[in-house]
Amino acid sequence: MITVEGLTKTYGGFRAVDDVSFVAQPGRVTGFLGPNGAGKTTTMRIMVGLTPPTQGRVTIGGHAYQDIPNPGRHVGVLLDASAQHAGRTGREVLTIGARTMGLPDSRVDEILEMVSLTPAEAKRRVRNYSLGMRQRLGVAHALLGDPSVLILDEPANGLDPAGIRWMRGLLKGYADRGGTVLLSSHLLHEVEQIADEMILIGRGRIVAQGDKKTLLSGQAASSLVTSLDNDALARALTAAGHSASPAGEGLRVDCETAEVGRAALAAGVVLTDLRSGAAGLEDLFLELTADTQREGHPAAATAQGGAA
Amino acid sequence: MSTTTPPVQPAAPSGALDISSTPRVPFGRLVRVEVRKSLDTRAGRWFAGSIVALCLAIVLITAFAAPDAAQDLGFFLSVSGATLGYFLPILLILMVTSEWSQRTGLVTFTLEPHRARVVGAKFCAGLLLGLGLIVLAFAIGALGNVIAGGAWDVETGTLVNGVIVANLIGIVLGFAIGMLLMNSPAAIVAYFIYTLVLPIAVGILGAFQEWFADLAPWIEFNTAQASLFEGDAVPTGEELGQLLVSGFIWLVVPFAVGLWRLLRAEPK
Ligand SMILES: Nc1ncnc2c1ncn2[C@@H]1O[C@H](COP(=O)(O)OP(=O)(O)OP(=O)(O)O)[C@@H](O)[C@H]1O
Ligand SMILES: [Mg+2]
Repeated sequence: MITVEGLTKTYGGFRAVDDVSFVAQPGRVTGFLGPNGAGKTTTMRIMVGLTPPTQGRVTIGGHAYQDIPNPGRHVGVLLDASAQHAGRTGREVLTIGARTMGLPDSRVDEILEMVSLTPAEAKRRVRNYSLGMRQRLGVAHALLGDPSVLILDEPANGLDPAGIRWMRGLLKGYADRGGTVLLSSHLLHEVEQIADEMILIGRGRIVAQGDKKTLLSGQAASSLVTSLDNDALARALTAAGHSASPAGEGLRVDCETAEVGRAALAAGVVLTDLRSGAAGLEDLFLELTADTQREGHPAAATAQGGAA
Repeated sequence: MSTTTPPVQPAAPSGALDISSTPRVPFGRLVRVEVRKSLDTRAGRWFAGSIVALCLAIVLITAFAAPDAAQDLGFFLSVSGATLGYFLPILLILMVTSEWSQRTGLVTFTLEPHRARVVGAKFCAGLLLGLGLIVLAFAIGALGNVIAGGAWDVETGTLVNGVIVANLIGIVLGFAIGMLLMNSPAAIVAYFIYTLVLPIAVGILGAFQEWFADLAPWIEFNTAQASLFEGDAVPTGEELGQLLVSGFIWLVVPFAVGLWRLLRAEPK
């Protein structure tokens, strides 16, 4: 379990992390989601003691990271897969980790196999690794000590589709066996399918948290409908007290799909398409972090951008 | 993809981590890992190998070139030891700075968050490597003497002050510069300025200003160290004082400030 309490980190006058609190539960995958520069990496760096917090604290399984003896055996960390000595072979990188943690060298072979790095690839120098291979090596390093808590910053970064699916399975399996998994991403669809719980962060502040259902429950109902006579349907819906507006081929209505169907039935209009138009997580995410984005581009959110 | 799945240690229902049965990483293990890290890259092995090769080359050249009368074991040991002394600090610099320049500190300080222990282990690893190289340099010096057929005379002062103490100072110096600058090229340049440019500048200044020539050994460590290389002559009280004062300025202060910086820096 990872507990973050009132975490704040300021650089000069700039608040990179602003009063962040959340809990990552064991047995669950917690997704830490936010646009670029939101403060995800900074929060994770504070968790493992690389950056001192300005305020607040983090405990992992009840302990400050510094108080965990041989922390590699308890907490697997991947912060930046490219932060490895370019001149070391992949195997050597893992061997150093294994030696530090006091693991037998056979563990290195085990873990290489688990992340699908072949013996030939393991002999290559990290400088010659592809982005995805580096990422696999980083994940391998995090898993090396068989930890029960995983802290992974953008673990899917650079992985091919098969790799992403493999990663999903791996992390799910970890959580199912009682492990705590915290992973960050700026890509919603990456996290959406795997995370049981999501923490949305924008410009250092948590803007929403909860599981997918909870996050979406606050959303206003909305339907998209297309019929053989949209005008008649619109009149019927308006008469029933809903507001309908043209959207593409059809109409957008501010009520449940059932209400639309009922109105159509009463008015005798033939429907050709009817579905929920509720904003998905993506829209929610963009909406919640909107003030951290420039011109609505999630990728352009840097804190230096000032108030939007 | 592999189907191997690791057993996750079952976390207590409360999510608490049971750390009672995990001992912390023993210091000796940290030292062994640091020794390994300094030699496990091509660059690291080449650098250490080149130092040894250079000692060998210079000893062989002197064995054939220097006048026979000057050649005895002490002479060869100091030639070999002085060559080592130039480059050994760079090995120490790289041990420290690669954590930052190559960004491995991110992993190193995550696996052992008590940075002071990592620094201590690195320093011990550097001492071990340095002592190993000193022994090799001795062997090379002795080999040179065999080739030149020189006398087996050696003054204890040469051995202890000129080779061992001087090289130990170099080890501490390299380590201090590495911690202070945390950047490989900058630290190496700083080292060469310190060891090559500074003594020349001080020498020139001293040639023009007598008062500065008197002051120099008190404030310039290289100049003060000259008293270490005078055979069996034990440094006088004044020379010892100069060593201590200039050593404090150039060794203790950078080491302390560097350590302070390193313990606080954010590895990025
Ligand atoms: N040492 C530092 N000095 C000044 N600003 C910093 C420092 N470290 C981080 N920041 C700033 O803190 C903010 C948060 O950065 P962080 O790396 O945590 O973002 P992130 O959420 O991980 O983004 P991304 O998705 O792009 O990885 C950024 O604006 C960054 O520039
Ligand atoms: Mg980041």
